Amino acid sequence: MKIALLGNPGAGKSLIFNQLTGLGIEVNRYPGSSVCLECGNVCYKKEKIEIVDLPGIYSLDGNSDEEMLVRKFLERAGADVIVAVLDATKLERSLYLFTQVTEFSPKLIVVVNMIDEAEHQGLIIDVDKLSSCLGVPVLLTAASEGRDIDRILPLALGSGRIATLQVPYDHHIEAALKSLEKTLRTPRYKSLLALQGTGEDHMLLDAAGAVAHEIELRHRMSVRQIIATNRHNLSRKIAAAAVRQGDRKKTYDLDSLLTRVFPGVPILIAILFFLLLSVFVIGSWMEGFIVASFTALVITPFTSLALPPLWDRIGFSMLIALQAGFGIAFPFIFTFYLGLSLLEDTGYLTRAAFLADRGMHRLGLHGEAIIPMVIGFGCTVPAVMSLRILKTRREQTIAAFLISMVPCSARTVVIAGIVAAFVGILWAFSIYIIVFILIIFTAVILSRITPGEQFGMIVEMSALRRPQVRLVLAKSWLRIKEFLFIAMPLLIITSIGLGLFQYFGLTDAFQQMVAPITITLLGLPAYASTALLFGIFRKELAFETLAVLAGTADLGSVMTAAQLYGFAIVSVLFIPCTSTIAVLYRQLGARITALISIYTVFLGLLIGAVINLLMK
Amino acid sequence: MYLSLREDYLEAIQQFSEKNANPPHYEELAAALGKSESVVRSDMEDLVSSGDIAILPEGVITLTGKGKQTGESVIKKHETLQCFLSEILGMDSSTASDEACTLEHAVSDETIDRLGQLMVKQDGQWHHGLGRHGRQESTGRCMTGEEECQYPSISDCSEGENVIIHCIQGRACAKRLLDLGMVPGEHASIKRKLSNGALVVQVKGCDVALSPEIASAIGVERSP
Repeated sequence: MKIALLGNPGAGKSLIFNQLTGLGIEVNRYPGSSVCLECGNVCYKKEKIEIVDLPGIYSLDGNSDEEMLVRKFLERAGADVIVAVLDATKLERSLYLFTQVTEFSPKLIVVVNMIDEAEHQGLIIDVDKLSSCLGVPVLLTAASEGRDIDRILPLALGSGRIATLQVPYDHHIEAALKSLEKTLRTPRYKSLLALQGTGEDHMLLDAAGAVAHEIELRHRMSVRQIIATNRHNLSRKIAAAAVRQGDRKKTYDLDSLLTRVFPGVPILIAILFFLLLSVFVIGSWMEGFIVASFTALVITPFTSLALPPLWDRIGFSMLIALQAGFGIAFPFIFTFYLGLSLLEDTGYLTRAAFLADRGMHRLGLHGEAIIPMVIGFGCTVPAVMSLRILKTRREQTIAAFLISMVPCSARTVVIAGIVAAFVGILWAFSIYIIVFILIIFTAVILSRITPGEQFGMIVEMSALRRPQVRLVLAKSWLRIKEFLFIAMPLLIITSIGLGLFQYFGLTDAFQQMVAPITITLLGLPAYASTALLFGIFRKELAFETLAVLAGTADLGSVMTAAQLYGFAIVSVLFIPCTSTIAVLYRQLGARITALISIYTVFLGLLIGAVINLLMK
Repeated sequence: MYLSLREDYLEAIQQFSEKNANPPHYEELAAALGKSESVVRSDMEDLVSSGDIAILPEGVITLTGKGKQTGESVIKKHETLQCFLSEILGMDSSTASDEACTLEHAVSDETIDRLGQLMVKQDGQWHHGLGRHGRQESTGRCMTGEEECQYPSISDCSEGENVIIHCIQGRACAKRLLDLGMVPGEHASIKRKLSNGALVVQVKGCDVALSPEIASAIGVERSP
């Protein structure tokens, strides 16, 4: 048996999923898309039941990755029973999606979640009435308290049935549906999609397109608007019949603080600053601990094995990559995602997007783009993957450039390890400031030259609520998994490649080749070029390699402050790491990836040269 | 006077005026319809009183705006039906014309439109019924183009106001707005407005944040 959870974003699906499955989540990447499907197994009455958490969506008609995935899932009857999760506080709006789901005629049950919140707002929901309107069993739950979650499975397995509800569309639409069914034998849901211009069957699309055009002329409204209005009207009727507004408890509206320019913007800046600061403090403390214990427990025993030199080199490179991966991934990236998931689950992130909209407009983006940018402070790889929340290619392109420049955790390690340690903490901050100025400069230029139209922000503000520890952990874990499965293998491969590069003595040849650039242009010692080269594979490797090549961890004794500062800034700006290049290629194609790489190399060398001139 | 008789007269007057570039006299109209002049004269009095025609001094019958509109519409119905009956159903043309004379009084505008479009789709050479539907390309599947939204935009309203959404224009016809319940006729209230025009709008009990450029494309009416 297979059961799927379906609902709007923020209806509490994930929490229900987590409570049903425990922590045994596997994430399946759906073939041909970048959207994740979460699956988990439970045992119920000695039967294995698979539970799928479908991505949160508002509609089934659109062309976003999430919507297409859920649509395909329903078309292929991907599950035996669909559990439609509705939000009790926004029942009318949640029913809109439900009316669409019924068109695919799956077996259904309805779970009206967040009933605790609704009770708090004085909303009284009549289960029997709702159930008879929809024609499927209805269950009221409060996932945050765990109330009645255990009744979902028995109900879904025992009484899931096809809904009797059918949206009464405008009679022109109904006529079109009937004629399409008669002439081409298309099912209702497919004809509805075709009337809105969605589908793959060209004959159907042509026929539906002609009819849709007529309907549009007659109504002076797009077919989409007509269909959406009909669905909303039905949802309103059902909600009006099933929901009663009782006494409302007065609560203080935090939004009066959070969404105003003052004090909203200072609060936003303070929260982001505090997030980065705590990641930095907690991260470096944990990193020291992990790296030391990994060295003592794994690397030292391995080197004492005294394998043949080639194998020793390969094995060593692999272990170093693992050490660096865990040394950075867990302390910095995981802490960062913990904070980010916390912000997301409180509902604050949408307020941040609203406030940031204005500033982002100046950069050729809009409010929602703040989310990938903030993720970029953790690791560039998931930040690039989250670019798909932006709706136009233009915005994705601009944001990809900027994200590639945002100092990620690994670059923070370089800045902290070289500049903060040997030059001074204020100088370290000045690197951030220079990078931010360059990001703004790049954005201003790009927003003028990038082709395409700008699309604005339409974001539902999620309700402010207390985050659930378990959900925050689960979310952070999912995010770190993206890093582990995509970036880690690349880290290990490139690390082995580098090991072999050194083993065959190619480093000297390389150093001599680029010596004019390193020494004359940047004013750095010749071996710094190798460190920079290694930085392409993993940013923090630039720092580690420099220490190895300089022959001492006390970099201050072999390089001047200006040299260290210059080196740090070049390696921060210089070309994204290989993992980033790989995901950029996957998300945006070869051309944009090449442009980003060339631009950042050029920018890195330029700024390095300027600093060399100024500080000489 | 029967509706069909009135329509027949108006049709005949309009047809005569088009053909001869001059409106008919009583006797000319009577001849065209094969009726006696006295019957025509008395019927014309009825049409004058219903405001469809006016009689000029020398017994010249002219159509008023209303009469002309009816006349033209009946001619169009006649042509479309005749064309459909003869060209598509294969009836001989005089039978088709007689039949069309009867049907034209009962048929609805919508049926005629659809028949017209059907014939256009079958083959480009039938041009009947195309008058009002010069085939234009669909304008981006959004609000059907030409008529501009006359209502003030939601971004002109201030914080705390309640509005009714009337129209959504241009690119802002984004599906997402529809999915979130921003459809014509829906009530909304403005919860927050920043100085750049970005809004938080409450609709169907949910708060939705909108960029200024999206907000400016939503036409609304202030509601009390």
